Amino acid sequence: MGKKQKKGQIGAFICGFIIFVIFIFPLYWMVVTALKTQVEIFEIPTPLWPRNLSLDAFKAQLSASSDTLRGFKNSAIIAVGATIISTVLSIPASYGLARFRFRAKKVMILFFLITQMLPSTLVLTSLYIMFSKVGLLNTYWAPILADATLGIPFSIIILRTYFLSIPKELDEAANIDGCGYWKSFFLIMLPIAKPGVVVAAVFSFVYAWGDLIYGITFITNPNMRPITSSIYNYVQQYQTLWNSTMAFGIIAISPVVLIFIFMQRYIVSGLTNGAVKA
Amino acid sequence: MKKQRKLNGGAKMGFLFALPAAIYMMVFIGYPMIQNLILSFKNVDVYSFAQPDNQVFVGLQNYIELFTSGNSILTKSIANTLIFTVGSIFFQFIIGFALALLFNKKFAGCSFFRGMTMISWLLPVTVAGLLFKFMFASSGGIINQFLVSLHIIDQPMEWLLHPKSAMVAIIVANIWIGIPFNMMLLITGLTTIPAEVYESCSLDGANKIQTLVMVTIPMIKPAIMSVLTLGFVYTFKVFDLVWVMTKGGPINSTELVSTYAYRLSFEEFQFSKGAAAANILFLILLVVGVFYIKLINEEEEIM
Repeated sequence: MGKKQKKGQIGAFICGFIIFVIFIFPLYWMVVTALKTQVEIFEIPTPLWPRNLSLDAFKAQLSASSDTLRGFKNSAIIAVGATIISTVLSIPASYGLARFRFRAKKVMILFFLITQMLPSTLVLTSLYIMFSKVGLLNTYWAPILADATLGIPFSIIILRTYFLSIPKELDEAANIDGCGYWKSFFLIMLPIAKPGVVVAAVFSFVYAWGDLIYGITFITNPNMRPITSSIYNYVQQYQTLWNSTMAFGIIAISPVVLIFIFMQRYIVSGLTNGAVKA
Repeated sequence: MKKQRKLNGGAKMGFLFALPAAIYMMVFIGYPMIQNLILSFKNVDVYSFAQPDNQVFVGLQNYIELFTSGNSILTKSIANTLIFTVGSIFFQFIIGFALALLFNKKFAGCSFFRGMTMISWLLPVTVAGLLFKFMFASSGGIINQFLVSLHIIDQPMEWLLHPKSAMVAIIVANIWIGIPFNMMLLITGLTTIPAEVYESCSLDGANKIQTLVMVTIPMIKPAIMSVLTLGFVYTFKVFDLVWVMTKGGPINSTELVSTYAYRLSFEEFQFSKGAAAANILFLILLVVGVFYIKLINEEEEIM
């Protein structure tokens, strides 16, 4: 029995390792390509590891004149803005929907659930017309306002699960002690719900950072494009400059990868709570 | 169920807490949806866009034209979207399920391997799309090189320039992106099965496949249904990946309803037609979405 179990362990480890290698290969390939010269990329067969490591592609992307850093900055502004709006609105909403009973509650939850499933194309044309009327096209506000709608439903759903898991006695006690609703919300509930808030904020940021459709539609000024939109335009221009494109891509994904490395546990719990438990 | 104590003024407070987010979503999602519906019954295009006086209601004309124009791209894009969605979900689900079964065991490195496979789901889809575009390229593309060295194909092929293989390429890329989502949700389902269940199975002499079919799958049916319906909704509305990899080409062979709606509105500036196409996409999603909401409502009594 013991031997058989050990054998199963080794088998599982080998399977896990192979899956890991296959899964991670595209990312490995992105890094390796960014470090190759153009000549090596088009060699047949192309080497699996660059013979002469070249940082030129990165240097070119990071130079002051390139679109990369500008795109990075624009994306940071847009994603942070959207995250702030989404988190600030979602926290009280999820608290209200978890803790209180009122007539419109069911309809509201349903509404947020539905908005999570809507395709961006459905509201895109109308938002475009709306933003053009009030002069928000080609400002950061247009993608910020639109990207926040990606984060809000998801944030409310996971935060609501979070608030539901906090014992009700806690805020009842606070109420008896004379804390008003606002006070007990800020002083008691919010600190406890902090991990949930972090997950919600992370997801809002990742959604906003990854957005392409709002970015390419609302911002046509090259100086204000978010990074997804600028890499998309870069590829249209420099079709086969793959090492530069991949270096650009690595810079574009770097915040998400960092978030992933440091907050993996949170992200996994957020994904499963947000999607299954609703 | 424990009776919820109504605190003085509680109902009003709850409503006030939830109101700002609800208003925000009404302004930036609800209102545009209604506007989109109205727009789809009008004749707004590049000529009448700036002249509200020339915008008139044309009834269902946009919808009719989309469906009946000779060689309707809309019909084709609906079919393409179905192929894309079913193809993606089929493989995502099977591979995701297999990985969930594997990673549900405890072994050295398990949580590391499982965690790392998650990353494909979080990456900005634009970058993932470009990465796969490069890997499928005819010159310098690693997938061609790999297939040639295995003698599966004789020479590198232009994956993204042939209608059928372009569809295969976008499906493959989407499978890579979607597997972690399937895996994580199914693992959550699997962890709800108590260990005793498996013990009694092995005592009864059931083999692994019997256990899987007779016990595991029925027990995590709710998770399976969630994964499939949510997966359908999320895949059916995919835009970025296809826009980056093929832009719907070649000759509309990878045109999805979402990319077609975008093209109509923002490349051909037929805003009303684009709105109509987007509404058709919405209608299809609505059917599946209602099914999903019913499902979780039965399952957890969330409301």
